[in-house]
Amino acid sequence: MQKSYLIKRILYAIFIFFVVMVLNFFIPRIGVDDPAERYYPPQGNMTDVEYDIIKQVTREQYGFDVSNLQQFLNYAKGLFQGDLGTSFRPGNPKVSDLIAERLPWTLVLSVTNLLISLFIGLMIGTIAAWRRGRWQDTLLLNMSTISTALPAFFLALILSFYFGFELELFPAYTNPNMVSGFDWSWEAVKVVMYNAALPIISMSIGGIIGYGQGTRNAVIAVTNEDFILTARAKGLSRNQVIFKHTLRNAMLPIVTSLGMSISGLIGGAVIIEQIFNWNGMGTLFLEANNTNDYPLMMGIMLFMSAFAIVANLVTELCYSLLDPRVTVGEKR
Amino acid sequence: MNESELMLKLRNLKVIFPSGQGIIKAVEGINLDIEKGKCVALVGESGCGKSVTSLAIMRLLNSPPAIVKVDELKLDQEELKDYSDGKMQELRGRTLSMIFQDAMTALNPVMTIGKQIDEIYIRHNHLSKKEARAETIRALDLVGVPEAKSRANSFPHQLSGGLRQRVLIAMAFACMPKLIIADEPTTALDVTIQAQVLNVLSDMQKKHQVSLLLITHDLSVVANMADTIYVMYSGKIVEKADKRDLFLSPHHPYTEGLLGSVPKLSDTQHHFVQIPDSVPHPMFKPTGCYFHPRCRYKTKKCEERMPPLVKIDENCEVRCWHPLHIKGGGSQ
Repeated sequence: MQKSYLIKRILYAIFIFFVVMVLNFFIPRIGVDDPAERYYPPQGNMTDVEYDIIKQVTREQYGFDVSNLQQFLNYAKGLFQGDLGTSFRPGNPKVSDLIAERLPWTLVLSVTNLLISLFIGLMIGTIAAWRRGRWQDTLLLNMSTISTALPAFFLALILSFYFGFELELFPAYTNPNMVSGFDWSWEAVKVVMYNAALPIISMSIGGIIGYGQGTRNAVIAVTNEDFILTARAKGLSRNQVIFKHTLRNAMLPIVTSLGMSISGLIGGAVIIEQIFNWNGMGTLFLEANNTNDYPLMMGIMLFMSAFAIVANLVTELCYSLLDPRVTVGEKR
Repeated sequence: MNESELMLKLRNLKVIFPSGQGIIKAVEGINLDIEKGKCVALVGESGCGKSVTSLAIMRLLNSPPAIVKVDELKLDQEELKDYSDGKMQELRGRTLSMIFQDAMTALNPVMTIGKQIDEIYIRHNHLSKKEARAETIRALDLVGVPEAKSRANSFPHQLSGGLRQRVLIAMAFACMPKLIIADEPTTALDVTIQAQVLNVLSDMQKKHQVSLLLITHDLSVVANMADTIYVMYSGKIVEKADKRDLFLSPHHPYTEGLLGSVPKLSDTQHHFVQIPDSVPHPMFKPTGCYFHPRCRYKTKKCEERMPPLVKIDENCEVRCWHPLHIKGGGSQ
């Protein structure tokens, strides 16, 4: 890989991050809310004069007493020190602390979901391509029609109702003690797995079928390529042709969609988390939204954007490692 | 001819493709003999069944959809038609190999050319990776790839068209097979590069006494290399002759037309003798002689009955009711 290519991509990623940062900072400031009132809501036994003084003090405390540009510079400076701001919530906790508290719980769901979707999807996709036109292939095609028409949250509702309420096989709601009592013991891990089963299943069915269908199409496209015929003419066995020649080429489009999935890992699934009462990033974001907690929203948005930018950058670099033809500006 | 002198003896090869609209008869019972160490050319327009013939010999046609029937398919007196698929795999690349048309698409784009040749030695000669690479470098050297050692680490897109074609030739010759099938080996190349590549192919063939089945529509290629020529039209052999005889006195009107389509500098008075129209669609072949709609010598007989392949002299056979250039008669 060319060094200049690498540097170009990194600079571009930094530029995108800057744009996101600017938009993220200024858009909430279009609103007319006085942040001081949000940090320190008026109390009943307080005169207007007293409250004005308190508000002035609060503004100074949180840096709202200076111009917007100065605020932005301070904000940027804070970011580099890992400070995402302070939430409007009672007790005014740090946004970064709130995220750090919720992120692992979202990752439990999203990473497991991605791994399951990817591996099972790759497997059934390859089988379907291999058995093109037979029942395995037809089944996958029909499943993908159904799963397209059946959104994950709807599936979640059905699963929650049927397996949670009717059969009582899995918890329909997450037990709040799961989070507070978590101590890395095997018992606690088992509880998490038990509680996470339904959300993960409802998330991953669509993913499995999506990756399956994508893999199937990619593998079939590659199977029709001339170089597969060359590989067979060399006397390679069927497995050698599939694993050494077909899959490597078929991986390219899959890596692209994998990159997109990775950038969505930390956002959390808002609706699924709501249905199962799962305290992850999705729930946190919804709470921030419902209480107009701008600093928290800003923090989450920025964190998600940064993660997506990095994930895209890594994907792109991986892509150029996988496919030697993809290196922009390469010299022959 | 004594059978022990034959490298390939093919009797009554038929290939059909059933489709929704009807049956496509791609190859309709052709016989083909290749003497040891000789180069035989199979000539014809696109769509006349040349490539299908070669893939059928290699047993590389996907079945379904293709249905292949053959009475005799003997490679060096060894009957191949009863071979299991596994045994055939062993044979391909080792005793029977193939050079494909377009080297850009016939090489795996994400694998170095060295690795792609290594595979053959690892598969058939059971060499270690390191030993295989040494053989690969030698093979590349033989076909005139400069700096073979470093070129082996190149990806296909980093090489020129001529070099890529040489790589394919090196692949085909890797295990010094008994028979090589070259399917339009120079069609995708510039004329100057064509000549170089043909020289390499011809040198290698003569030096190593390999039999070669050259499939092409380009008579200038044939003129340089082939000993015997089979002319194919719409799935049938229409003429078989030694090179010299065929060029001097073609017996079949189609052969005459093919020869007439080659521009001659010395001949300033005549325009090209074009063959009007094109090869009939394999599903809607005409009655009688398949060539009659395009033939300027056609009679009523030609429209009604398919002529048999008749022996005219020792090395010459023709399928025509009114063969040309026959001493003491013919249609003229």
